[in-house]
Amino acid sequence: MNSTTRRYFIGGAGAAAAVIAFPMPAFAQAKPKVIVIGGGPGGSTVAKYVAKDGGIDVTLVEPLRQFTTCFHSNLYLGGFRSFQSLTHSYDKLVKNYGIKHARAMASAIDRDKKTVRLANGTTVPYDRLVVAPGIDIKFDSVPGYSEAVSNKLPHAWKPGPQTQLLVRQLNALKDGSLIVMIAPPNPYRCPPGPYERVSMMAHVLKAKGHKKSKIVVLDPKPNFSKQGLFVEGWEKHYPGMVEWQDPKMHGGINSVDAKTMTVKTDLAEYKAALINVIPAQMAGKIARDVGLANQTGFCAINPENMKSSVDGNIYILGDASIAGDMPKSAFSANSQAKVAAMMIRGELANGKIFPARYTNTCWSLIETDDTVKVGGRYEAKDGKITAVETFISKTGESADLRKQTQGENMGWYSGIIADIFT
Amino acid sequence: MGRAPAAGDKALGEYLSSECVTCHQLSGANVGIPPIVGWPDDSFIEIMNEYRYRKRNNSIMQTIAGRFSNDEIAALAAYFGSVKGR
Repeated sequence: MNSTTRRYFIGGAGAAAAVIAFPMPAFAQAKPKVIVIGGGPGGSTVAKYVAKDGGIDVTLVEPLRQFTTCFHSNLYLGGFRSFQSLTHSYDKLVKNYGIKHARAMASAIDRDKKTVRLANGTTVPYDRLVVAPGIDIKFDSVPGYSEAVSNKLPHAWKPGPQTQLLVRQLNALKDGSLIVMIAPPNPYRCPPGPYERVSMMAHVLKAKGHKKSKIVVLDPKPNFSKQGLFVEGWEKHYPGMVEWQDPKMHGGINSVDAKTMTVKTDLAEYKAALINVIPAQMAGKIARDVGLANQTGFCAINPENMKSSVDGNIYILGDASIAGDMPKSAFSANSQAKVAAMMIRGELANGKIFPARYTNTCWSLIETDDTVKVGGRYEAKDGKITAVETFISKTGESADLRKQTQGENMGWYSGIIADIFT
Repeated sequence: MGRAPAAGDKALGEYLSSECVTCHQLSGANVGIPPIVGWPDDSFIEIMNEYRYRKRNNSIMQTIAGRFSNDEIAALAAYFGSVKGR
């Protein structure tokens, strides 16, 4: 159809007449329409996998021209990657699979009429809609914090300028500085992410020769992902530099003050040179606005197909979804997207449907060539996405294995980017 | 050598392969994770079985391979065997 269309436009009068003379059986039967809101790992993957075998008209609604990944942004912080290497264009999705890239925010969804209104005023109809908006930050979950304050105390939990701000602040620190990180409560994007970030901050300070700088982590959780592995790594590589406090140790995180650069807990007050606040999170606004999210702020799904529990024409992917045992990660979103794409092609293009199976792996870099991983396989079971098998790196592993795991980490990034964007 | 007696179902293999290509690139690029395209079926099946029965070390591959049936592994072998790397 692409070539026919092109001929119509560029082929001059003869070709145009040919189109008129054969009145368009192919056009008369409109292709089913899929709209995808959000061009992250979930949205871009589902757009590609629905579009690649043809027969379905796919529109990706995403205001950005290119996408900067949140995954591996800690490696940029640690100086292991450039910012540019995290940024990827949508051009190949458009060119290779005929996906339409609507560069606008989705401002409303009419679930009865099955249309999406874009911020530029156009309204687009759909047969199936995929909502993959990622997270929004709950700025008011930490007293004293706000979107305006985040320009001074970065959360850096969304990629782009926030990550760059954190990097600038970290690199400017002098020896003897105190960094305070306020870690997020569950559930949040990238469970090991805050602790990998602590590791990368410590790596930068150590590499600069700091002897007296410290990182205090104030955590609203009593424990965290890969805790044993991180604590072992911090003691090994950064002795005395990292202090992690659970709620029993700090008594409660009371407030941040950007003017005086202080953080108050029940038991202490910290004056810091860098404060990294990672607040609580919720599904992206569009999902909450149209009633797809429940009281948790995230969206319940059917574990057998990633359909919204409240609307059978809508699929929810990635961080915005309540995916049972699966963590909020790019790997998870990519895996969920493949299940959803298969189901959508089954519904709209007579594609074959197989039982849903999901996978995830999260790698975390602790220090140069010292990487750990956690992951698993998941299926629809007991009304949710349930882990059927999991694995995690062990404490005390050999340096060789950890280095090999870092090779895998870099290979995965390259692989998932190829899978999502080419 | 020859092909496996019961050739795998390529359509099933293509669906299952979506799980693999998050890490193993269809282009055959070798960047930290080994390429798996264009192998003879029997080599592919043998290596998957070695992960499945934990004779080869890698927790991710043991977990992935451990849950595939013989038919599914044959299907994957047929699919990836048919892919020509770039």
